[in-house]
Amino acid sequence: MSQAAATDRILKLELGGVVPGGLEGLTEEELSGVATLLRVAKQRQSEELEEAVDEALEIVPRLLRRPVRKILFG
Amino acid sequence: MRGYLSPPIEVLKLARLIGAEAEDIAYFERLDGQAIRDLRDQVTVVMFDADRQLLQRVAAATKLIPAKLGAVIGERAFGALLCARITGLLDPNRAVDIAKHLPVKFLADLCLHLDPRRASRVIGAMPPATVGAIAAELVAGEEYITMGGFVGHLSKAALLAALDVVDDQSLLLTAYVIEAKQNIGALVALLPEERLEDIIATASSADLWTEALDVLGHVSERQRGVLGDLAAGQADEVLDSMVRAAQRDGLWSEVLPVVRAMSPTSRERFAKLNSIQTRPVLATIIDAGTRDSLWAELLVLLPLLPPAARREVAALATSFDRQVFEQIIAAAYEEDLWPALIAFAGELDKGPRQEIAKLIDQSDGAVLESLLSAVDDTGLEAELVAVLGELSAAGQRRLGTRIAAAPAGLLAAITEAAAAAGLEPLTEALTK
Repeated sequence: MSQAAATDRILKLELGGVVPGGLEGLTEEELSGVATLLRVAKQRQSEELEEAVDEALEIVPRLLRRPVRKILFG
Repeated sequence: MRGYLSPPIEVLKLARLIGAEAEDIAYFERLDGQAIRDLRDQVTVVMFDADRQLLQRVAAATKLIPAKLGAVIGERAFGALLCARITGLLDPNRAVDIAKHLPVKFLADLCLHLDPRRASRVIGAMPPATVGAIAAELVAGEEYITMGGFVGHLSKAALLAALDVVDDQSLLLTAYVIEAKQNIGALVALLPEERLEDIIATASSADLWTEALDVLGHVSERQRGVLGDLAAGQADEVLDSMVRAAQRDGLWSEVLPVVRAMSPTSRERFAKLNSIQTRPVLATIIDAGTRDSLWAELLVLLPLLPPAARREVAALATSFDRQVFEQIIAAAYEEDLWPALIAFAGELDKGPRQEIAKLIDQSDGAVLESLLSAVDDTGLEAELVAVLGELSAAGQRRLGTRIAAAPAGLLAAITEAAAAAGLEPLTEALTK
């Protein structure tokens, strides 16, 4: 697989399988940079969300903690 | 400017969405604004989808706890960005209840990360007072792009509350970056005339004509006329600043439709402005009109210019090629501006006038019929004949034969005018 095809594949993966048109003006390096930024952003969001949920459970009064936990984690 | 998405603004929105600095992805500015917007839309989808399940569960869990506690958890544990991701998943009434317990500063921060399209129902349910307070906070932070994204999702009462706290300059800057430009008309409709006058004065004093003219490009023709008349009612200084900005920033294609939408009195006042009488300005106006097919706009303006400026235009017209004259005829036909065309042609030098006469001679039946009908309505037979007098004898005979099929009254008037002008070939053909 060529480098360009690999970059395209990675970007497609990060964009949920849909790469909108009009990005042809970007270099391979720039496209690769975008893919990295997206991956990092999603990772950061997931981590922050998990941390926030843990912290929230600490704040929720003990009485409500169980039902809230049930909704959050099944 | 219509439909135009500014690449730097789109880059800023994309950067904010992925938590990057705009400078880190400045290379996107090389792309078309729409391409960046399309990418942002897709990124929005994947950012939400990435944690959709947990976000939905968090939204569901908020139903179990009091709104006040929800607000505390939102502010302390989740922060503005994650709350923004959850907002659209909440029941609107629940979201409003929680928002009541959150500081305005936090809500404004949340707005920076909110995708209004995904939280439209929540935004629509927000009390006007809250929206006004958030708007004031966003204005203080110069967050015009964020504010622009909310227009179209807010209730009328909430929009009015926001308009009350947004100063004229901020309003112009927000309108310029508004996400759904089709809503600008509705926004303008909410503003009283005095406020609109103030905004026009601000466009002049703060040199925000690019922004103001962009707004004028997105309102209805009627609103454009009203706003154009309000602008024309201001001091020369205000209109001169618009002319200077148009000349400096290439905005004539935005100005000309406004001038056309004005009342005849306002248009006349605009045409008499000293600042548009110079040859470089007139040349730029005509270039813009030709480049962007705005000859209908030019035809209603040029005959109103003072004589010296009309002579300048006539001199400029000597360098027009045939295509330009074709544009002029097409505009007169399509927009029913024959009297303006005849007045314009009457001012031209022999060469350009001859080009117009030739195009009339070569026009199809529908065009000629429409021209003759307009001449009949306005009594411009002599003026038309003066243009047709530039045709060769053969041309006059050919066109005369076609005009001879006109209704009797009109035919008699044109024949009389042709005879008075000493155009024998035309007169003969008309009376055959």
